[in-house]
Amino acid sequence: MKAIIVGAGEVGFQVASRFAQENKDVVVIDKDPESIRRVSDGIDVQVLHGSGASPVLLEEAGIKEAEILLAVTNSDEVNLVACMAADIISPATRKLARIRNGDFDDYHDVLREEAPHIDTVINPEIEVVKSIERLMRVPGAVDVGEFADGHFKFIGTRLESGATLSGVRLIDIVSQTEKERPLIAAIVRDDELIIPRGKDQLLPNDLVYFISKADNYLDIMALFDKQIEPIRRVLAVGGGRIGLRFARRMEEIGIHVKIIEKDPDRCLELAEELNKSVVLQGDGSDQSLLQEENIQEMDAVLTLTDDDEINILTSLLAKRMGALKTITQISKFSYFPLMATIGIDQVVSPRRSAISTILQYIRRGKVLSALTIMGEAAEVLEAEALETSDIVGKPIKNIRFPKGALIIGIMHGEDAIIPSGESVIHPGDRVIIFAHRNAVPKVERILAVKLEFF
Amino acid sequence: MRWDYVLRVVGVLIFFFGLTMLLPIGYDFFYRDPSLWPTLTAMGITLAVGLLMVVFFRTKDNDHISQREGMAIVTLGWTAAGFFGALPFYIGGGIPQFVDAIFESVSGFTTTGSSILANIEGMSRGLLLWRSFIQWLGGMGIIVLSVAILPFLGVGGMQLYKAEVPSPVPDKLKPRIRDTAMILWKVYALISLGEVIFLMFGGMSLYDALCHTFTTMPTGGFSTKNTSIAHYNSVYIDGAIIVFMFIAGINFALHYQMLKGRPLAFWRDAECRFFIFIVFILTVVVTFNIHGRIYEGIGTAFRYAAFQVVSIVTTTGYATADYEKWPAMSQFILLFSMFLGASAGSTGGGMKCLRVMLCFKYCYRELFSMVHPKAVARVKIGGNPVPEDVLRSVLGFLALYIGLFALCSVLLSGLGVDFTTAFSAVAATLGNIGPGFGMVGPVDNFAHIPYLGKWLLIWCMLLGRLEIFTVIIFLVPEFYRK
Repeated sequence: MKAIIVGAGEVGFQVASRFAQENKDVVVIDKDPESIRRVSDGIDVQVLHGSGASPVLLEEAGIKEAEILLAVTNSDEVNLVACMAADIISPATRKLARIRNGDFDDYHDVLREEAPHIDTVINPEIEVVKSIERLMRVPGAVDVGEFADGHFKFIGTRLESGATLSGVRLIDIVSQTEKERPLIAAIVRDDELIIPRGKDQLLPNDLVYFISKADNYLDIMALFDKQIEPIRRVLAVGGGRIGLRFARRMEEIGIHVKIIEKDPDRCLELAEELNKSVVLQGDGSDQSLLQEENIQEMDAVLTLTDDDEINILTSLLAKRMGALKTITQISKFSYFPLMATIGIDQVVSPRRSAISTILQYIRRGKVLSALTIMGEAAEVLEAEALETSDIVGKPIKNIRFPKGALIIGIMHGEDAIIPSGESVIHPGDRVIIFAHRNAVPKVERILAVKLEFF
Repeated sequence: MRWDYVLRVVGVLIFFFGLTMLLPIGYDFFYRDPSLWPTLTAMGITLAVGLLMVVFFRTKDNDHISQREGMAIVTLGWTAAGFFGALPFYIGGGIPQFVDAIFESVSGFTTTGSSILANIEGMSRGLLLWRSFIQWLGGMGIIVLSVAILPFLGVGGMQLYKAEVPSPVPDKLKPRIRDTAMILWKVYALISLGEVIFLMFGGMSLYDALCHTFTTMPTGGFSTKNTSIAHYNSVYIDGAIIVFMFIAGINFALHYQMLKGRPLAFWRDAECRFFIFIVFILTVVVTFNIHGRIYEGIGTAFRYAAFQVVSIVTTTGYATADYEKWPAMSQFILLFSMFLGASAGSTGGGMKCLRVMLCFKYCYRELFSMVHPKAVARVKIGGNPVPEDVLRSVLGFLALYIGLFALCSVLLSGLGVDFTTAFSAVAATLGNIGPGFGMVGPVDNFAHIPYLGKWLLIWCMLLGRLEIFTVIIFLVPEFYRK
């Protein structure tokens, strides 16, 4: 498969390196020689220097043989024009574009149906606001994904050192609870991803990923000694596009928001746009301001400025001043591994959201949604079990499934099932699969290979 | 730098290289050649050493190779290839002196074509086949071949590729380095097949055609005959070899374009135009220079002029005439052609046309900005601006090339070699050409060079083949710093 990526920024880079690892042919186009060099030095892809909106360059990149065009430059306009040019030269190529301007929100469908026929418009800001909301809803969660229209929740949570489950072997968890046992898909310990077996122990400070049905995730969280605190008051630092979008959403669902923004002009705009939220002009890292606004009474503090360092420091400050929960926006991928060490667990990233959306779209077959965890170490995929696929009609323990991949959920009609070895997948069921990065291509193949016979 | 990982990869390369000895072994076995046992022993040793290195340096497999590690792997890999390639010559006594065996082997791998053999035809046919075959392997590059064939080099393969094929502006024909390497080798093999057929039409036996193809395509220059191509004394064979040397001196990316149905690619490429132009001009000048003095007919003069010029410019190093008897002007042209070299991305050596072009254009820009001090000008090749850092690295390369050339000639003459010989021997080995002037002229050989001098020239050949930076970096203390 051939893919052309316009824009060698963080998103373009990550997606390109992901594709290259999966042995796809990738051509990356960017205007900036530095970014181009970073790509050509770091990953095994072809690079072209120039504007991705240029039809000549797209043709040179081989757009006619390309299955996918990804337009992920920083400029919405360049992304749109690149898709337009591609649509003229090679209508068969599927096109994905990142468009961040909120004014386009209502036009995503139009852009798909009419020229330039952009199959998927990615607006990471929408995704980020959604994931902030999910993180707020599930207390103590580091990562939350929803599958099968919200019937399953895939949750990552950190085990505190005093927790009852620390030191317990997985097989013994069942005896400690009368309710349905949680299916633990993965443990991240010292930056290493472990796919645990029954005899493995949970240790303090592990990041545990499990799946649960939507109706009993709170019970399972309670198992991990995480208590439920309903969210009523939120303080957001940074009133950029994400901050505004978030505040609007909170107004819709009736949560009280305070926004701190440095720029007085932007504050005015925010005040005009928002009705119930309180807009405060000031520096988010100003202790007296935070004190004055009762930070210790806040259920959650969000740091959403476009400066990673300020976000991190403000979150740490807020925690120190008594905020119960902080959610930090981070863009630089190299910071992710550090976050747990410095005590910031709940992180959102527009770039990571964009990558998730892109991967989800690109997975072949009927992959419906996907979530990446721990940078890019593993993915959770949701897919429809096709009648022709090898995975249907027999107990799960008899399926020859690639190493590093697990079936963690089955949606049979309206029934959500956490599978055991005896469960059987029926045609048309939706299955949720957890897969280590190395296993993803094989899983893709199992799910999709027969599809090509249609 | 992870030395254990570097040595592990080198071990894999050595093992892989050992397997290539199957070709001469097959020949030896089939024709009952006396070199069968020596070559088998050599292969055994090579495989064993490679295997031991892989087993001994067991590291966590990591697909990322840093630039430094890439250069270390390539330089060590080539040094190892030179060493193990010498074993078949040395073990059976085909070449009794160890340093001579290494010299011959490195001269083969680096496609230089300088020989220490006085009587080539006295060697067994099996060893001569191996001698030609290693040139063919070295031409497109053993590392490129490994990248194409060995899957584990995947991502790291790119660093190796850049260290082995350090053209100023690298061409990536396909998004993936493995596919690029594969295509280059396929094009190389395809054109080689063409040459074998053409040579056989000229009356060569399959063995001779194969051996000469193995040394034309990589612009190597080893022949199986004492008198090189002059042995055949055939206009057809001279012509065919001129054409294939010329083809081998052109960027292989362009051959690929042509095979994909874009024959105009040659003309659209600025470097290729320059190369064609230079070869044409030099041939014409030399033809008129030797016409009447050495050769009576203009046709004959053209035939010998064209052969010698193409052979030297492409850095092949075959000879059909003793150009040392030619007028001084022709000798000078040939001597300076040794520095010029073939196109970037070809199998030829030397400084490469592209670098020389860039240097000229850079000089012109300097003059231009003296006239217009406020001018903003970019150096362009074929209409595309060349990034300043590429220019810088090209100038650095040329400076190093000249500097090393000067240093090595002085050292060689210090060992008691005469002026012309020292000067041209270094030029011929650094440029991977083969024969030089004086005592190492086209009808002489390198056997009488002093012991230390041979090691010096071996080093020059490696420097030239890997285009200096990759090898010289080993002498920079910063390279070893943690």
